[in-house]
Amino acid sequence: MSKWKGIANTAATAVCLAALALPARAETLTFVSWMKGEPGYGDWWNEVIAKFESEHPGVEVEMTKVERSTYADTMFTMFAGGSPPDIVHLAAFEYQPFADEGWLEDLGPWIERAGLDLNGWAGQETCEWKGQTYCLMLLYTAYIFAYNEQALNEAGVENLPSDWESFLDAARKATRDTDGDGVTDVYGLGLDTTGGTNMMHDMLHFVLDAGGAWTVDGEPAFDSPAVVEALTRWKTLVDEKLTPRDTPSGDLRQLMVEGRLAMRLDGPWIYNILKGAEPEIAENLKLAPSPFSPPVGGTSNVIGMPAELAPEKKELVWEFIATVASAEMQQRFAQLGSSPAPRPGLDYTKEIETIPYFELFAQANDAAAAAGVDRLPKGLEIEFNEVAKVVHREVQGMLIEDRDPAETGQAIQTAVEAILQ
Amino acid sequence: MNWPKGSTASVIDFSSPRHRTKFGYLLMAPAVILMALIIVYPILLSVDISLQDVRIARVGGASEPWTLANYRWLATSAEFWNAVFVTIKLVAVVGGVSLAIGLGTALLVNQRFKGRSVARLLVALPWAVPEVVAVVIWAWMLDSSFGIINWALQVSGLLSAPVEFASNATAAFFAVSAVMIWKGYPFVSIMLLAGLQSIPEEHHQAAQVDGASTWQRFLYITLPGLAPVIGVTMVMTTLWVFRDFAIIFVLTRGGPIGATSTLSILTWEQSFGFFRMGQGAAVGVVTMIICALISRALVGRFAQSVH
Repeated sequence: MSKWKGIANTAATAVCLAALALPARAETLTFVSWMKGEPGYGDWWNEVIAKFESEHPGVEVEMTKVERSTYADTMFTMFAGGSPPDIVHLAAFEYQPFADEGWLEDLGPWIERAGLDLNGWAGQETCEWKGQTYCLMLLYTAYIFAYNEQALNEAGVENLPSDWESFLDAARKATRDTDGDGVTDVYGLGLDTTGGTNMMHDMLHFVLDAGGAWTVDGEPAFDSPAVVEALTRWKTLVDEKLTPRDTPSGDLRQLMVEGRLAMRLDGPWIYNILKGAEPEIAENLKLAPSPFSPPVGGTSNVIGMPAELAPEKKELVWEFIATVASAEMQQRFAQLGSSPAPRPGLDYTKEIETIPYFELFAQANDAAAAAGVDRLPKGLEIEFNEVAKVVHREVQGMLIEDRDPAETGQAIQTAVEAILQ
Repeated sequence: MNWPKGSTASVIDFSSPRHRTKFGYLLMAPAVILMALIIVYPILLSVDISLQDVRIARVGGASEPWTLANYRWLATSAEFWNAVFVTIKLVAVVGGVSLAIGLGTALLVNQRFKGRSVARLLVALPWAVPEVVAVVIWAWMLDSSFGIINWALQVSGLLSAPVEFASNATAAFFAVSAVMIWKGYPFVSIMLLAGLQSIPEEHHQAAQVDGASTWQRFLYITLPGLAPVIGVTMVMTTLWVFRDFAIIFVLTRGGPIGATSTLSILTWEQSFGFFRMGQGAAVGVVTMIICALISRALVGRFAQSVH
């Protein structure tokens, strides 16, 4: 009997040890992102996930792609339905309504507990909403000038544009019907005229260059002389058909890859996209500083966690965020994303040597940051989508009905003030 | 079964006339409960949200007190009245043209001729293509700068400049209408073909013997025979135009300057574009009421015409 008792005890001990040796619990963290599969940033996320999973055996991060165009809707539906993803990835200009609804965890205590020093972390102040920290900034970036050297040379553009006049001149010259069939084959410029936040960003180049901003001290300034000047420039470019109409940003980048667009102002992400062009086109696709001053810049995307999450999951999500914020992963961000990471104090010597435009991106970031530029207008954070819709509607009216830009600016101002009431 | 001593359990005999209806209700109960869950509950939820002054409604969350603020906004909103007008215009154009083309093609493929099966297949083809796939292809074809339609019109010399289908209010409305007609007429055609085949051939033969012309036979035999089918088909087409979202969203997103902004687009825009879910739900509820009234009126009218 004692023999059987001994065997039973041994077996029980073995089972207990085996159970201890196994992960505490197989856990899956859900993570929704529009960046999955993107060259550069998508690769970086894969590395972050791999590192996190290797450090947390038994924990799996399930990353799902949702298209950028429907991203905010999807996330709102998930949150409103009570089933948000465990790891929350949002654009910097769209997280505020989530925070405002109380859906995001205040990361302040987590940051303090981990001793994470965010001094100098680029764009982190955008993550402050009503006195609390709801996210970690993943990218602060500035726009640069992408151009097709061959298209500009063939059009007789000798020097790269350095101001509005030379920019307009280059766009006019580079818009051409190359085969004589009466149809434009190469457009001088790519502007997103489809509305939404991308159109606002594309217009902002001209607003900033004219010395203005969408808001001044948090108040809308759409009837200011700078915005009226920007509207005038926009009208000129679109009326003269120097840009493809109704083409979203993604398609404009593709047109650039196909050699059918001579110029585009875009973020550093365009570098990785242009690398996908056919070799004979890729060799002509180059980047330079924006001809406008200051360049459009701003916060790009953030990471956070839902407020209503089980405590043990919150721990895991925070550890995921900590992995993202680690020096090692931030350095990889710079390497794979080909642009400076938000974490301060990283050594970019290697990146500057190996990534052709890394220094250009860093200088553009500095210029935008020094001018205090952010794509998201202060004071319009919650209503930005609605404001973008108003701007699109009034700009369309200006173009279709040939309205005066000053009148359009006034109409936008009135409509935005009505929204804010 | 052995009942315990002294038990007074009774057994309902569902076969008896007295309990027969109960058995019917019992059998229907699962389906009714399921219907209530998947149809009635969302409707009630929409009505509930439309009566709350909320930006973001959360299922199962705390509710705001009921108010008519969203309906007051509807009454004074230029966007809402524009959406009503655009929807009515779209229903008239898409419904009318779809009916005309659907009836024409149904009459055509109802004739006996070589290749009739292929013709019927071609008529029904647009209906079989998934809507989003079809609309994305149309969006490419209608692209202002690189679309094949503009290219063909320019190269053939019919146009000197491209038509900006998404930037010209009139062109955008007709582009949306054309794609909706292309997608919607096969349904009308299939329904009317089925209706045509249900009209007894003897009626036509008797009229022919009595000397009725082709036009008279169409007017006094075919059309009255088709009336109930036309009624149901028009109700379904109207409801489809009212609720269709994908075609307009992919092609124009309701623009330019609201030229294609229908009630369904406005519902989405308020709810998910601007996150004013109370207002979005109010638009949805009003749309539902309009659809119910139209359905009732059309079905009632065509049912009367049959009798």
